[in-house]
Amino acid sequence: MAQEKDIRKFLPLSEATSYILLALNEPLHGYAVMQKIDKLSEGTVSVGPGTLYGAFTTLERDGLITKVGDEERRKIFKLTPFGRQVLKAQIRRLDILVRQAQSTGD
Amino acid sequence: MEKKMIQKFKWFWAWNDEKEEAWLGQMASEGWHLKGLGLPGSYIFESGAPRRDVYRLDYINNRSDYQNYLQLFKDAGWEHIGVMGGWQYFRKAMQGDLVPEIYSDNASKAQKYQRVLIFLVILLPALTMFVVRPATEASSLFDLYSILKTIMGFFLIFYVYAMLRIFRRILQLQKK
Repeated sequence: MAQEKDIRKFLPLSEATSYILLALNEPLHGYAVMQKIDKLSEGTVSVGPGTLYGAFTTLERDGLITKVGDEERRKIFKLTPFGRQVLKAQIRRLDILVRQAQSTGD
Repeated sequence: MEKKMIQKFKWFWAWNDEKEEAWLGQMASEGWHLKGLGLPGSYIFESGAPRRDVYRLDYINNRSDYQNYLQLFKDAGWEHIGVMGGWQYFRKAMQGDLVPEIYSDNASKAQKYQRVLIFLVILLPALTMFVVRPATEASSLFDLYSILKTIMGFFLIFYVYAMLRIFRRILQLQKK
């Protein structure tokens, strides 16, 4: 298990990064990630190729995702166990926010 | 309709690349579509029906992963027109009133300018060394080397100015 402080270093994740990690629960290439995010976010978030390419580079470097294959010049990535922990920690933060907002009755 | 070609020369500053994108979109709406890029500052346009196209510039200098990079943009519907000094020119048609973007948030857009800045920082020591290196012999003001050094000195000042402008652009994007 990764140290708590290692996880916290990556928080908060941006909305785009959160969705990228969520999408990579299964191995996917870049464009498939973009399509999945459109669907998962119910059309509220769309990630451009420049943003996605940059995110892939840094997330792979930081060990949150890993390359699991190649498919005609498309890299296929998947979430690592560490990436999963970071995503979980982010979801927990958001969960608290949503719960608090709902309990104020707005 | 017979297609015509024109060549235009235009310079743009790295911190102002959005103006460049707007200009290319404007040309497209007047029926001039970017066909290719030549030497720095040289653009080749082809005539055709006016189109509502969006042009976007990216900056990368990572050669090892270039094919993957291009494939991702292509999959996302962006046509790669060419490269000019590390600047990648992409085009995509407008879909309704939705303006497509290659960067969907400011944080990642800031990273584009960071790459430009890093490139400039890497070249800075060589440029500085040339300017501050003392002449080997006592030289008069008018010898060629001094003139060259003076020109390079002005260039250096501008170079640092450019770095500051790009740095400011990064800060602006990070604050948003």
